[in-house]
Amino acid sequence: MKIAILSGKGGTGKTTLSVNLFSCLKQGTLIDTDTEEPNSHIFIKPTNEVITNIYKNHPVVNKDLCSFCGKCGEYCNFNAIIPTKTKVLVFEDFCHDCGLCEMVCPNNAITYKTKVIGEVFSSHLENKSFHYGKLKIGEVSGVRVINKLNEISKEDGLVLVDCPPGVSCSTVEALRGSDYAIVCAEPTPFGVSDMTMVVELLREENIEFGVVVNKSGIGNNQIYEYLEEENIELLENIPWTKERAALYSTGNLIADKDPIFNEKMEHILQKVLGDNYDQ
Amino acid sequence: MINEIAVISGKGGTGKTTLALSIIPYFEDIVIADCDVDAPDMKILLSERVLREDTFIGFKRPEIDYTLCTHCGLCYEKCNFNAISENIEIKKGSCEGCGVCSYVCPAGAITNKDYPIGKIYKKQTAFGPMIDARLTPGEESSGKLVSEVRKRSKEVALEENAKTIIIDGSPGVACNVISTISGVSKALIVTEPTLSGIHDLKRVLELSRMFSVDAKVVINKYDLNLAMVKEIETYCDMTNTDIVLKMPFDKKIVESISNLIIPSTSNISFFTSKEWLSFIEYLQKEK
Repeated sequence: MKIAILSGKGGTGKTTLSVNLFSCLKQGTLIDTDTEEPNSHIFIKPTNEVITNIYKNHPVVNKDLCSFCGKCGEYCNFNAIIPTKTKVLVFEDFCHDCGLCEMVCPNNAITYKTKVIGEVFSSHLENKSFHYGKLKIGEVSGVRVINKLNEISKEDGLVLVDCPPGVSCSTVEALRGSDYAIVCAEPTPFGVSDMTMVVELLREENIEFGVVVNKSGIGNNQIYEYLEEENIELLENIPWTKERAALYSTGNLIADKDPIFNEKMEHILQKVLGDNYDQ
Repeated sequence: MINEIAVISGKGGTGKTTLALSIIPYFEDIVIADCDVDAPDMKILLSERVLREDTFIGFKRPEIDYTLCTHCGLCYEKCNFNAISENIEIKKGSCEGCGVCSYVCPAGAITNKDYPIGKIYKKQTAFGPMIDARLTPGEESSGKLVSEVRKRSKEVALEENAKTIIIDGSPGVACNVISTISGVSKALIVTEPTLSGIHDLKRVLELSRMFSVDAKVVINKYDLNLAMVKEIETYCDMTNTDIVLKMPFDKKIVESISNLIIPSTSNISFFTSKEWLSFIEYLQKEK
């Protein structure tokens, strides 16, 4: 079973929820797919990590074979390869690694060069696995790194997914194959607005979901009205306290030190996993 | 030259939109650009009238004519994005519009058609025109939509002789953020005194340097953990990065947003402080 934890808005508590839910499990896997700004490892503190490089190709043109026909540039949809009369310019960062330029080249002048665009860090402890991805700075998309995280965890029984914020391609990739989603939202006008976009995405993808309202007590009641109107299940309400914020700020698992919070985590797991939750 | 100020953060929820909104009332002749296209929130507080709405074509997406398709599977085999399923259907959110499938199809069953990924708007606010956009949830190419918001906001600024563009960015460090900061005069990086905040600040600072953007740091909610503030200060010192503002955590700021009032225009003492006013003065200086 794959359970995605996502939010739309950043900073609502996706990572807090992911790592604390994970800490309540006896067995399972957590993948942190926020490859642009991964934070789960700050709380999990993994040791003995195995690092896997994630690669991307970009074309290299052999000048001796190139006839400067211009076909590669004509077909490339990303302006990543621009032929002139005397040379062919390649813009690595624009290249999506689709392979079309090589296919259309009549002189077999195009080959590919590989570069590392990110890394996956894997660690195991007893019956649990934790993997997180990190995109190299300057790279445009973490989708390939997320794809790897999905691939290495796909045989695992229970997988929690700490998703990236937003509703673009990274989030779609992180959600792939999810059986259920926990939307972590905060009760502010921004939180509600961004959540509506996530709800639209989850409905489009046909993924069942419930909502955890984090940092309740700040903001207003608009979120509860929205949930009722839209007939969305409220899984749990987690009040904002200064103590919880302090524990988070120094990289602590709140569930370890706050029994009420811990109970809430267990409650969420019971609701989502039902009989599959082994306490 | 137009003074373009981008507010970014790396980590989400540090207070980008709150800060961006709060500086707006201090500028005359401005254009507002909301580049957080998959979570656009500035519109919520800026009373608005839509002046123009356009559908944004992100890329060309393949369409399969099943009366011609022989299910040979070549498109599925050659697609590098795993965007075509085994039963020859295009998967939403995976296709990047490269055109390989239509090129390899021996039956000529695939054509590439303009594909809308969201909407882009020009709006009137009490402070000046605003360009914002809404990505259709789940779509590709959001970076292009961000670039279009930037482009249009510059066009409007030139038309209306505006001196400043205030840009609200998205979290992260990939395409959306790169499109948000490339070529701006100043980037304000909003961080918070948490381990996650520092971790993400370092990454987004590295990105700003890579793109030669003049980046300054704002520590929001600084009073929640003073020891962490020290750590941020040490790191900024080491890397020659200026910290231009420290904002306290104040429930009144959240309340103000909940009441749909720009925090700096409501009665909150921090916004009359010397520190805040000299920060505004710094922003107003043209580069």
